[in-house]
Amino acid sequence: MAATEPKGHGQHAGMWVFPDVTVMSREVAEKTKSSPQPFTMALVATGILFILGIIGFIVRAADDGFDEIGPWGYYMAVFSMVFMVTGGAPLVAVAFRFTKSHWRRPLSRVSELFAIVGILNLLMFIPLMFLLPAIENPEGVVEGELFVRRTIWFEGPIGAPHAWDLVGVAGLVVTSLFILWLSAMPDMAECRHTATGFRRWFYSKLSGNWYGTKRQWNAQKAGLALVGAFYFMTLIFMQFVISSDYAQSLIPGWKDSIFPVIYTITSLHMGFGAILVTLFILRKWGGYDGYIGKSTFWSGSKVLLGITLLWVYHLFAFFITFWYGRLEVEQNIIKYLVTDTYGIIFLLNLAFSFALPFAVIIWNPVRRSDWGPALAGALLMIGGVMFNIRIFVGSANAAPGSDLYRAFMEHVPAPVYPDIWDVLMVIGGLGAAVFVYLLATRLLPVLAIWEIKEGALYQKWGKFVRGEYLVLGKPE
Amino acid sequence: MQEGTPLNSRQVNRELLVSILNSPKWFFGALAVLGFIVLVAMSTAGFMINQGFGVTGLNRPVMWGFFITNFVFWIGISHAGVMLSAILRLSKAEWRRPATRAAEILTVFSLMTAMTMPLIHTGRPWRTVYWIYTLPFVPYDYARGIWPNVRTPLVWDPSAVYTYLTSSILFVLVALIPDFAVLRDRTTGLSHRIYGMLAMGWQGNARQWKLQIIAGVLLSALILPVFVSVHSIVSWDFGMAVSVKSWHSTIFAPYFVVGAVHSGVSAVAFVLIILRYIYGWQNYIRHEHIDALARLLIVVATGWFYFFVMEVVFGFYGREADEIAVRNLQFTVTPWNIWMMIFVGLTYFAPVAIWLSRSARRNLWIMSLACIFVNIGMWLERFLIIVPGLARKQLLTFDWYTYRPSSVEWIIIIGTFALVSMLMLTIARVVPLIPLYDIKEGEILRTEIKIGRVTVPAVFRED
Repeated sequence: MAATEPKGHGQHAGMWVFPDVTVMSREVAEKTKSSPQPFTMALVATGILFILGIIGFIVRAADDGFDEIGPWGYYMAVFSMVFMVTGGAPLVAVAFRFTKSHWRRPLSRVSELFAIVGILNLLMFIPLMFLLPAIENPEGVVEGELFVRRTIWFEGPIGAPHAWDLVGVAGLVVTSLFILWLSAMPDMAECRHTATGFRRWFYSKLSGNWYGTKRQWNAQKAGLALVGAFYFMTLIFMQFVISSDYAQSLIPGWKDSIFPVIYTITSLHMGFGAILVTLFILRKWGGYDGYIGKSTFWSGSKVLLGITLLWVYHLFAFFITFWYGRLEVEQNIIKYLVTDTYGIIFLLNLAFSFALPFAVIIWNPVRRSDWGPALAGALLMIGGVMFNIRIFVGSANAAPGSDLYRAFMEHVPAPVYPDIWDVLMVIGGLGAAVFVYLLATRLLPVLAIWEIKEGALYQKWGKFVRGEYLVLGKPE
Repeated sequence: MQEGTPLNSRQVNRELLVSILNSPKWFFGALAVLGFIVLVAMSTAGFMINQGFGVTGLNRPVMWGFFITNFVFWIGISHAGVMLSAILRLSKAEWRRPATRAAEILTVFSLMTAMTMPLIHTGRPWRTVYWIYTLPFVPYDYARGIWPNVRTPLVWDPSAVYTYLTSSILFVLVALIPDFAVLRDRTTGLSHRIYGMLAMGWQGNARQWKLQIIAGVLLSALILPVFVSVHSIVSWDFGMAVSVKSWHSTIFAPYFVVGAVHSGVSAVAFVLIILRYIYGWQNYIRHEHIDALARLLIVVATGWFYFFVMEVVFGFYGREADEIAVRNLQFTVTPWNIWMMIFVGLTYFAPVAIWLSRSARRNLWIMSLACIFVNIGMWLERFLIIVPGLARKQLLTFDWYTYRPSSVEWIIIIGTFALVSMLMLTIARVVPLIPLYDIKEGEILRTEIKIGRVTVPAVFRED
């Protein structure tokens, strides 16, 4: 293994790793090329799920067509699950690069690689464009109904919401891929010398004229900062758009300004959770334990704990305002999404998005392990699945037909349970996302080699008074 | 290279205790001026209580005006203490060290000032006892069937604020113990006895340090939920009122909390700049600290702006007549629309534009201006939430009205600013506004890493 023994003492024993950067490039490049048996098996398994998902989609389309959004509630949910992960994960790399946190270095590429899964997300979005009902009431002015239903687009602009949603989702995917490209350029430039065949061609094309001059490094870092800031704003905006167009505006009378925020936090949950689970797998079974220290999990888990508390706080802010207000429409929405219709799913959502992960990572010894944060991440991803089912299946089936144009939700609809094709679409969609990610890890190094090498310059193990401690460089 | 010169313990003690052991000449003059303003404001409040609310601009339906705006504003300022102290302590941000104490003390004083506002606003302050108590000796008119309603946020509010005040005082006191011991050893007579009592036998042994650190960490973690709950509950004073449509918004709680942090951290940055100037603490409150605060403020301001946009968008989203009437007043009717533009410009666009420039972040004059902008903007924000909502509360237009604050309200509001300034100045004479031990610890942990030809500032981290 290309690393010294992990450092740390007392409760921090084995917390920090100091990779041997002289062999890192070669070792990571070799791992990127190799396809061990467990990896191949995972690829085959997720590939099968992908195919099952496609079958489910085809049957659903053949049975129900694209006229009504109701039967596609579970498809909307799985789209949103993948959207949350592919949107939220790259943001983690962007955010902690901004804050110059050294512990982020092993997770940067792991998170950016989710941008490639974004392409799948874009493809999944195309059918949803056709499913979204028109803003204007097709029956014109009808008593008791709105002529223009409530949306964030009000009465314009032209093409809203369908075309603008597509432009937004596509823009987000392109921006995240751009970040991945910028970030991976130095690594590709290094690997092009040792790679062969397709990889050599691919790395040569994408790394362009990168030779690592000072000017190039400055341009790359400035580019990452600028595109990162743009990505952050685009992501937040698109999460507002998707959560409003495909959830809130489909439930008559649901006016909830905190919902886009809850959606964004759930997305961070799912994205960060996916990253921690991936890091754990890479550390435990991928042979990267010399590069991914426990400190990454430890620091990451503290952020995760904060996000988890934020999630429940925002949820409570929503709940108490509606519950205390006692307005009929708000009571109906609570009954529909929280207590009655999707009450069980809500409880599971609450358990997996807050109670269980909180119970896991509140303990410092658990946070200091690699399995604890990864377990919390896995729980949060399950919580995210429940959240999306509750919200999107609920929204798609809240107001069938022209009920969508009524001013308020007047009765509480019954739950919609999944049929076999829904199940196939959900597991197929998730399987497809993992399948694409696995392929991406064979294309690009799963660790940002340059970033870890840079980190090795800024982190030392130094003598202080009578002991040895971590010395952290803080560049401006 | 490290910013600032290395400091030894003697120098830290001498320079940071200057505000206590050697009062500058201007001190008593400044105190007298501020005290006079406070006295005038108190007399005005007395006059108002004697004459009744007729001397204010409050009317039907705008029954909440400057006083409640000011109450929310000062509660907001108080959020800086925990934001800087607890969160940055837990996250081990090195640049927090000179800022924590001033922030914590500002928390305590702004909370105390905030709580005077609802008392004054009652018009008959002695009757506030009915908010909470129905004691046997309090002559309460049960015959009318009116009982103190524990289910109203107006009752949750004082409970939360007093909990926050108690825990903030505890938080400050625990952090002050080692510094009280330093003062105990450098004073004589009565001061020596008082500081000795407050130092609680502190000798600085390993066990005491360990306990003090654990207490600090525990209090940091425990105070965070209180900090969030306080402004959330303040927001629910408005958010739970379904009769005022523009107030009944689910986002109010986090929107208020982020806004509070925004104004509070700006206020702390401004206080630090003032302290640096008046006490000559250039070695302690360095440009890098103000720079770090400004960068934090960019994030906080952007978060705040996001919540603001959500609040406005979903205000229009519902397309309900009574809410649209409020939004029309806010955005299309002069002078409200002008105030609205000034508020958004001062709270977000102007300061963030300033903070994006590194040289502006390190220019203390420009930074002071930006921080003042934020606080004027945040004061206006509360005003523009409260007053237009009430002015358009009713569905029928003949019930609509406006609000014009009277000179009585202006004087009382100005008095609260003078009160906080006076209290800060007074406390600077009693406790060090920069924690001595925190600065010393930072100096010990400071080091450097050499990378090629470059020397990079670094710190030792135990964890």
